Amino acid sequence: MSLAIFRLASTLLLSVLSAQSFAADDAWLMLQKTAYAARELNYQGVFAYQNGKQTRSVQITHMNRDGQEMTRNLVLDASLQAKQPREVFSQGNDILIVSPKNESNNTSTVVIEKRRGQNLFPAMLPTDLQALKTSYTTRVLATEMVAGRGTQVIELIANDSYRYSYKIWADAEFGLLLKMTLLDSNKQTVEQIEFTQLSMLNSRDVNWFQPKIDVKKNYVTDISTPVSHVDTNWIVAELPTGYVKVDHVILNLPGKSTPVDQMIFSDGIASVSLFIEPISKAVRPKTGHMVIGSTNICANVTDGYQITVVGEVPAATVLQIAKAVTFKKQTASK
Amino acid sequence: MKNQLSAFMDGELSIEESAHLITSAKTGGELKNCWAQYHIIGDALRGDVGLGGVNMHYDFTSRVMTALELEPTVLASKLAATPKFASQKTAYKTSTKLWSVAASVAAVMFVGVMVFQQQFSQPETLSPVEIAQSVPTEYLQAHQAAAPSSAAYYIQNASFAETKK
Repeated sequence: MSLAIFRLASTLLLSVLSAQSFAADDAWLMLQKTAYAARELNYQGVFAYQNGKQTRSVQITHMNRDGQEMTRNLVLDASLQAKQPREVFSQGNDILIVSPKNESNNTSTVVIEKRRGQNLFPAMLPTDLQALKTSYTTRVLATEMVAGRGTQVIELIANDSYRYSYKIWADAEFGLLLKMTLLDSNKQTVEQIEFTQLSMLNSRDVNWFQPKIDVKKNYVTDISTPVSHVDTNWIVAELPTGYVKVDHVILNLPGKSTPVDQMIFSDGIASVSLFIEPISKAVRPKTGHMVIGSTNICANVTDGYQITVVGEVPAATVLQIAKAVTFKKQTASK
Repeated sequence: MKNQLSAFMDGELSIEESAHLITSAKTGGELKNCWAQYHIIGDALRGDVGLGGVNMHYDFTSRVMTALELEPTVLASKLAATPKFASQKTAYKTSTKLWSVAASVAAVMFVGVMVFQQQFSQPETLSPVEIAQSVPTEYLQAHQAAAPSSAAYYIQNASFAETKK
């Protein structure tokens, strides 16, 4: 009798377990579909982004023509009325930003910035989700409507306090990410981005893929942030779990007389930048911590160097990285 | 002055008109920097700079060095630096390229010295200031530009631009 109950219980337990792991696999599969959908589908829409007190609407047009991705993001703000919209174009791994000069009201100058590729909304998820599996667990939640479309809500739950959790609304039909929120450890929303309008494109016309050039205006290329990949003597002894260094560059920031080291760490979706620069005579070093929406910033001084850590991650992550920076003494034999 | 410099670089200024420009570009720090910047901007617009984030300063310097090796007449820049320059200017009518090389070297060396001095100066004992007192937009923008995934980056750039007005 008791054996039979045990058998029944273990069978039930097994089926519950396998159902759970099936659900988890299911969620990862859905996220995989979401990651590809943003890159492979042709769509046009408007999305709203909110971080802290800042909100912004952006019109996006995305097309994948024979494997070549083309995106135009048009920022819907005052610059539209000024007849010099701020536009972001990306093709493959290249990003080109065309915007009115921001340091004065001199609207006759237009700055063209070139950047390397990034996962921009709605392609927020990497296509390789493997890295995420060590730091997050998934859960499939209810279905909801977003921008007039049915979605499946999936939660990417942080395994520790070094990252936010993500809630993802994926289009029930196409898998496209329609909405995403970042949640802190108290389940409070710290950042949100969502489509308010969306339609799928059928045409192959690419006339939209060009900046609005006004011949009367002066176009300049922004050269303030040239970058190079480098080796360094700076070490971050103990990175928060799950984060790896994905890049290291040296760049010239506006208003800085010396180049700044920038290291970028990522856990697959969340990322943190570490900036290191010698403290110059005229500038007072900065210390302390501040938060803007989902962004935590922390400053510290180490061996006469200014350390600044910035990321869309909890305070614990930027604080730990700032604390862990050390300078490797060069050995004479080297 | 900067406009004249630009015109000079485009070859729109006669050598007679540009003599004073060259003199002040050699002595004045701002004009010297301008000179270098104009060259960099010009190069960028002509597409000498790749989209993939190229170390422009490195390229710039190495190109200048290569140009120097190809120009065996570097000594002339020494000569040109003498006060007699005005009377000898006809000799340089045909060698504006040399000027561009010399000025570029001067600018690069100037920047190099600045960097050197900064790096080896003792850190000042100015007391630290709380970072919360002002939003470090330059770091935010650099982070958003480099982060592998970013929702914020071009959007926040725009809004910061707005608050600056």
